Amino acid sequence: MNENENSFESLRCLLASKNRELPPPGYFNDFSAQVVNRIRAGEASEPRNAAEQLFAEAPWLLKFLQIFEAKPAFAGAFAFALCLVLIFGMIYAERPDTSAPQPLLEQVADNSSQLAALPATALSQPSDSIMLASDNTNPVNSVQPVASLFGQQNPFVQQVGFTVPGN
Amino acid sequence: MIMAEPVEPTESESPAAEEESELVRRARSGDLQAYDDLVKRYQERIYATIYHMTSNHEDANDLAQESFIKAYQALKSFKGGSTFYTWLYRIAVNKTINFLKQRKNRTHMSLNDIDFNAEHDPDLMALISENTPRRAASLTELQEKLNAALLKLSEPHRLVMVLHDVQGQTHDQIAEIMDCNIGTVRSRLFYARQQMQAELADYLK
Repeated sequence: MNENENSFESLRCLLASKNRELPPPGYFNDFSAQVVNRIRAGEASEPRNAAEQLFAEAPWLLKFLQIFEAKPAFAGAFAFALCLVLIFGMIYAERPDTSAPQPLLEQVADNSSQLAALPATALSQPSDSIMLASDNTNPVNSVQPVASLFGQQNPFVQQVGFTVPGN
Repeated sequence: MIMAEPVEPTESESPAAEEESELVRRARSGDLQAYDDLVKRYQERIYATIYHMTSNHEDANDLAQESFIKAYQALKSFKGGSTFYTWLYRIAVNKTINFLKQRKNRTHMSLNDIDFNAEHDPDLMALISENTPRRAASLTELQEKLNAALLKLSEPHRLVMVLHDVQGQTHDQIAEIMDCNIGTVRSRLFYARQQMQAELADYLK
């Protein structure tokens, strides 16, 4: 061991010279005051604890960020993909959507034709299945027929009695 | 002034140790003035260790401050099983190693100036003038080579070398700080010295 120590003597002398590397003059004069002030203000503790808590609750987020840090190409690819999604989203949002309401109107028309084909006895006893649109997505059943939303004729058929004056 | 003189372990019976225990007790109960005194006691050693590990003054400044802040926040968990100094050192060392692992190979040296009196250090000047092939090599160049060589070591090897050969701590103290046995400290020190000697062959006998 002593031989080893001797062979490394020059190295130790060189390493000891690192103690000559000094921070700027007066650096330590207010070091402790800065530490105490930061403790008082809680500058360092609160945000860091919040970040640590977030990463503890969602470790995948930390791994995700570490991947970004380790592989900048991955971060670039991810950003590029996000931009593509954004651009496609904007393009499709601006395109007039004409196809969606059409089936609903067609279905209302179908319902009207079905109602017309029904016998009068069936029409005299209106049932919910006829009155309500079959594809209503509203969880609360409404007696308001969907067709009325579009200003179409009301399929609600009601038997009325009237007398002709003079009879 | 030479930074981070070799550390004398504080004996548990010494008045200094008793005074330190009292400061720790007061700081634990929220006395920031007492903690300010503790920071003043160890600020140079803690800063120096971190600086020699990172070779960057700004990083060392941030990490040293954060280490003291974390130590204050964790003071209630300090049971006194080791000295406050060792406990504080562990916090600083762990924080530094975590920082270096995150930073990985993106090292940026921001070295402190060399003490003006170094030019009058006969041992150091002899090392430069006699052993350096380029006799005009300046202290600054030597400093940069030395720090660059240190940064090539792994964090555990660099830490052992800094604590032992730069700061003059004993194997026992290093083993306690690094929470490993003395044999590990010795083997890491030997390997680190071999690596450094190979890196700095131009400057050494």
